[in-house]
Amino acid sequence: MEAKILEFAGILRGNGVRVSPAEVMDGLRAALVVGLGDRLAFKSALRSAMVKRAIDLPIFDEVFDLFFSGLGQAMGEIARQTQAALQLSEREFQELMEFIAKTLSRHSIEVSPLARALLQNDTGRLAQLLREAASQVGLDAISRPFQDGQYGYAIGEVLRLEGVREELAKIQQILAEMGAGDPVAAQAARLVERRLSDLNEMIRRLVRSEREMRHFAQRESLHLKSLTEKSFYYLTEDELRRMKEAVTRLAQRLKNAISVRRKRAHRGRVDIKGTLRASLQYGGVPFAIKIDRRKREKPQVVILCDVSDSVRNVSRFMLQFVYSLQDLYSRVRSFIFVADLGEITALFGENDINQAIDLALRGKVINVFAHSDFGRAFQLFYRDYIASVTRRTTVIILGDARNNYNVAHEWVLKEIRQRAKQVIWLNPESRSTWGFGDSEMERYMPYCDLVEECHNLKQLYGVIDRLVSA
Amino acid sequence: MFSSIEDVIDRFAKQKYICSRTIATVIYLASHLRKPVLVEGPAGVGKTDLGKVLAEALGRSLIRLQCYEGLDETKALYEWEYAKQLLYTQILKDKIGEVLAGAATLRQAVERIASEDNVFFSERFIVPRPLLRAILSRDPVVLLIDEIDKADTEFEAFLLEVLSDFQVSVPELGTIKANQLPLVILTSNNAREMSDALKRRCLHLYLDFPERERELEIVKLKVPGVSERLAAEVVDLVQSVRKLDLKKVPSISETLDWAKALMLLNIDKLDHEMVSSTLTALLKYEGDIRKAEQELKQYLQRARAKVGSAPASPPGGKDLLH
Repeated sequence: MEAKILEFAGILRGNGVRVSPAEVMDGLRAALVVGLGDRLAFKSALRSAMVKRAIDLPIFDEVFDLFFSGLGQAMGEIARQTQAALQLSEREFQELMEFIAKTLSRHSIEVSPLARALLQNDTGRLAQLLREAASQVGLDAISRPFQDGQYGYAIGEVLRLEGVREELAKIQQILAEMGAGDPVAAQAARLVERRLSDLNEMIRRLVRSEREMRHFAQRESLHLKSLTEKSFYYLTEDELRRMKEAVTRLAQRLKNAISVRRKRAHRGRVDIKGTLRASLQYGGVPFAIKIDRRKREKPQVVILCDVSDSVRNVSRFMLQFVYSLQDLYSRVRSFIFVADLGEITALFGENDINQAIDLALRGKVINVFAHSDFGRAFQLFYRDYIASVTRRTTVIILGDARNNYNVAHEWVLKEIRQRAKQVIWLNPESRSTWGFGDSEMERYMPYCDLVEECHNLKQLYGVIDRLVSA
Repeated sequence: MFSSIEDVIDRFAKQKYICSRTIATVIYLASHLRKPVLVEGPAGVGKTDLGKVLAEALGRSLIRLQCYEGLDETKALYEWEYAKQLLYTQILKDKIGEVLAGAATLRQAVERIASEDNVFFSERFIVPRPLLRAILSRDPVVLLIDEIDKADTEFEAFLLEVLSDFQVSVPELGTIKANQLPLVILTSNNAREMSDALKRRCLHLYLDFPERERELEIVKLKVPGVSERLAAEVVDLVQSVRKLDLKKVPSISETLDWAKALMLLNIDKLDHEMVSSTLTALLKYEGDIRKAEQELKQYLQRARAKVGSAPASPPGGKDLLH
């Protein structure tokens, strides 16, 4: 059992689950305590000792089932399929196998262990033989689907499949000769024929489950990594969906980082009131110095998000971040604009994330099909909302600054900057194109504290990180 | 100590805690391997209760340490009672004078005081906090460390030392070792990820919302007198509401609150008005309630269609509205 659990731990590690040697030891000890009799208890025991992150639980469940019963289950399934194909009941199936065994001993035919196990549907023995063959050909090195055939063939060689085929053919022939007047024998002959293809199927299943088990998580993680570096402009539907998941996960990670950072703020000024209060206990001697460790005020954020067609994909992710982080900041006010400007803070408060973003992008708040006019949108912001910008506010503007040759009104930005703590501009276009054509980036840039190119998730993450640490 | 996994389930059931085989296995393991259990999961699935019930089931006393930001050793482990020490010195001034009477030099006086200093730094002047209490206890106890994710990472590191050997060193007293190993339950709401080192030392148990059957059992057990039908309807509805994308998903305790509220109002069959007027017991956000009402309408329609095909039952709850 030790070897089995060690191998299992190795496979978990291969799938990205962190299992330390100490945890493997615990798993072993736990397995000894609950025993092997109760499958669910055994699984729970291993899980509690070896898997410590909730996100790894699905991987564990999947791999456990494949590892500890994948083959057995597959064999049961295959046997049932055969039964169904030959239209046999469970009992008839058993009787038929007994009949074959009797016939064999009557004709005193010696058969190989594999053929015997196959004809008696001895799943334990079959599994053992298959596993032995698998370890001889080094099946644990399999990594790609196209290798299935090659490994399957190699296992067949080790099992001497050709010999088994001849044996079965001989038995089938004998049964067929008997079967001329005996329907049972005829049925048995069909069963023998069928079992050979069953064996092939078993080998195929074994190879496939082995591959899936070892690389259950691999594809997922590879995909995600390349995704963070892909530009927002070129995402497919499916990638958009995956990206959303990634963004949510990043937001979660960020939250953790922030809570840690806040807690690190351990130094502070001496809290006179607290120290005096504590000194009463020691007869007025300031024995214990109290320090004011009150948390820093959470930053306030105002976000202006361009949702015109040209930056639609990027806004989607920006909005998603805003939504995910709304409970992190004490005050987030979000606006979207094209030529008009509309506030979406309440919309985000009331609806769930996808609905809110869809509503925002579908033109419920403002006309999203107009031509971008940054100047006008800024002016509207100045007229209606400038009071919401205080010296604690971080203003984030997301847009490509392509103004369709309208008036830029950069004085609004200057005004905002004087009031705000900082102004950050995120531009999804690459830096080299700024200022060309109708891009007004050069005009706006002097009034921003930070201007960043932001067209993939990695850059967005970097920006948010800087925002949080500010 | 538990004799088997079934024994855990039985004894927990006696304390009115329905536990699945998975939970029972982990508890059984914890008691045999003497390892702490880290329980994670959403709010309101009975993480804290697990600790309380475990203590009851084993007939042990429960020592609870509630974690919060800024929790430190003096609150969790021990603290010297400076005030008491000062008071004693004041009162014992004369006695100290006697001790020092024959001392010729300052050095001698200091020597004498030093030889007596364990009078002041003794267990008499120590205030044991939960962790030390658990270690000092003569009888085995259950130590519940609640919401460990709220504590600082520094505290978590300190806790590691305690959890691995159940001994603490008090500089003035030396190392104190536990007489009896306590059973430790740690709970976490996942406000932050716990360190790997801590996780490695614990058995891990993830509690999720229960499946329909188990929740039904819980409702029937915890809300005595609830009719079979109401319980089933309540649980069905809660289960389907949980599938919605809500800000705060209703937990078991909210299911129970709601069932109790409906019981108080003497309802034995759900209808639309009744449900929407009591939905606040189940859901805590305006947006959630609005979303759930949609689901509700569909659910009740489905239920009515089902009832329509079955033999008609008198609409008992309906009359109450008039």
